[in-house]
Amino acid sequence: MLQVNNLQAGYGGLQVLWDVSLSVSEGEFVALIGPNGAGKTTTLRTIAGLVKPRSGGVTFMGRPVDGLPAYQISRLGISFVTEELDLFESMSVRENLLLGAYTIQDRRKKQDSLDRVLQLFPRLGEREKQLAGTLSGGERKMLAIGRGLMSDPRLLLVDEPSLGLAPKLVLSVYEALLELHRRGVTILLVEQNVNTTLHIVDRGYVMEQGKIVLQGTSAELLADAYLQDTYMGTDVSLV
Amino acid sequence: MDLSTVWDLFVTGILRGGLYALMAGGLALLFGVMNICNFAHGELFIIGSYMAYFAHVTFGLSPLLAILVATLGSFVAGILIEKTFFSTLRKTSKGEWVMNAFLVTLGLSVVFQNGAQLIWGVKYRGITQYWEGTIQLTPRMAIAADRAVAFLISIGAIVLFWLFMRRTQIGRAIRAVSQNERGAMLVGINLNNIHTLTFALGSMLAGLGGASLLSLIPAYPFAGVKPNIRSWFVVTVVGLGNVGGAIIGGFIVGLLESFAYYFLGQGWQDVASLVMLILLLLFKPSGLFGSEVKGVLER
Repeated sequence: MLQVNNLQAGYGGLQVLWDVSLSVSEGEFVALIGPNGAGKTTTLRTIAGLVKPRSGGVTFMGRPVDGLPAYQISRLGISFVTEELDLFESMSVRENLLLGAYTIQDRRKKQDSLDRVLQLFPRLGEREKQLAGTLSGGERKMLAIGRGLMSDPRLLLVDEPSLGLAPKLVLSVYEALLELHRRGVTILLVEQNVNTTLHIVDRGYVMEQGKIVLQGTSAELLADAYLQDTYMGTDVSLV
Repeated sequence: MDLSTVWDLFVTGILRGGLYALMAGGLALLFGVMNICNFAHGELFIIGSYMAYFAHVTFGLSPLLAILVATLGSFVAGILIEKTFFSTLRKTSKGEWVMNAFLVTLGLSVVFQNGAQLIWGVKYRGITQYWEGTIQLTPRMAIAADRAVAFLISIGAIVLFWLFMRRTQIGRAIRAVSQNERGAMLVGINLNNIHTLTFALGSMLAGLGGASLLSLIPAYPFAGVKPNIRSWFVVTVVGLGNVGGAIIGGFIVGLLESFAYYFLGQGWQDVASLVMLILLLLFKPSGLFGSEVKGVLER
């Protein structure tokens, strides 16, 4: 479904991604893990069209999408939930969600999407009239993911949803992602929290200094000696 | 001073405020959504006056039709201006956008003033009135039907504009762009289209003001200077980029001028306004309704 081939990208004079290749198949839950500054976020931004690649390509559903503006990529069915969430802070929860379905013209489809998202995150229903800027940290993540789902995307990119959340809330965000996965949404998740992440995804890529250094199924990665030494020494499992 | 004087001053102020609200609302929209400090806002006003004049006098259209033509014409003019200048500029200037865009508007206003002078000459093109008659508001006070209709038109336009921004999908998208451009792109909003539409809307509101007040302010190459300064005054008082505030601010400034005119005498209303502006900038630089919340139409 998603193919990233030998991607090189960066900001200004700084190159961040060096020859990154990865792929996600329909219905898969894939994680991109690695330390801070490894280039995980830049990879997602490049896929979503916020950063233009210097070379290499991105193919989605068999068609090249690199170089397309972000709004067109979004219309092709890729939703990107950024680390900063990029909510419309002075708009209500409901308006944020409706904007998530901006590209859906059919009123009934829009309402269906809204019902589906509110069923998944009942909390958002309770806060429907509240301004996004007044929500708590966990609710904000829910809203960002919910907004990303409103367009009924084929692929969901999620950047560090656990960041800044209390462990209990991290769990509920992960549960929501798992539930989405069970419903058939394809997800590419970026995380620093290696151990927990590998327990919920099907497959993972490990990124360090702008390169993919390891890849495999979650079982393989969990058993990997290098990963255990480097990332899981002190990590407390939450699942 | 008796109560009816207060009432008269109030009515005058509100009538005046309708125009200010229309102009300042558009100006605030341009800043809030596109970060453009538009110093050619008065020229957009004059484009409306000229179009209404030609439609009404030269082509003999009925007043309402002439105003409608001028309003739509200003909308189209806004599209052309945005596509030609700002859309091009946006591609080339990233960091210095606010300054560059501001300079472009200044340049546009000079070019327009001199262009209009070249084409149409330094000649007032006005009408005495669109509609005849007066409306008796109080036993002592009658206002020209023209003023009343112009006022109703601006109120109508403001209400429609408000509903458009609040209730429609596209209005919501405009507000979304003003709050978070990246978020807007990620939900599939084409920023270029929204920018063009926003400029066209701001231009349309100004043009509508110029067209409906043709009997009061005739079309003239330099007639945009005053409306421009007035609308800038209003948005500075309420806080830049706040459309709701600008609309209320328009009425506040209209009232202030009307009362200052009565109590201090002719010519002093500007002094009163500017003193208020200076005091405000000294003690609350973010403006009357200024806040940290970013958004073009939020409280």
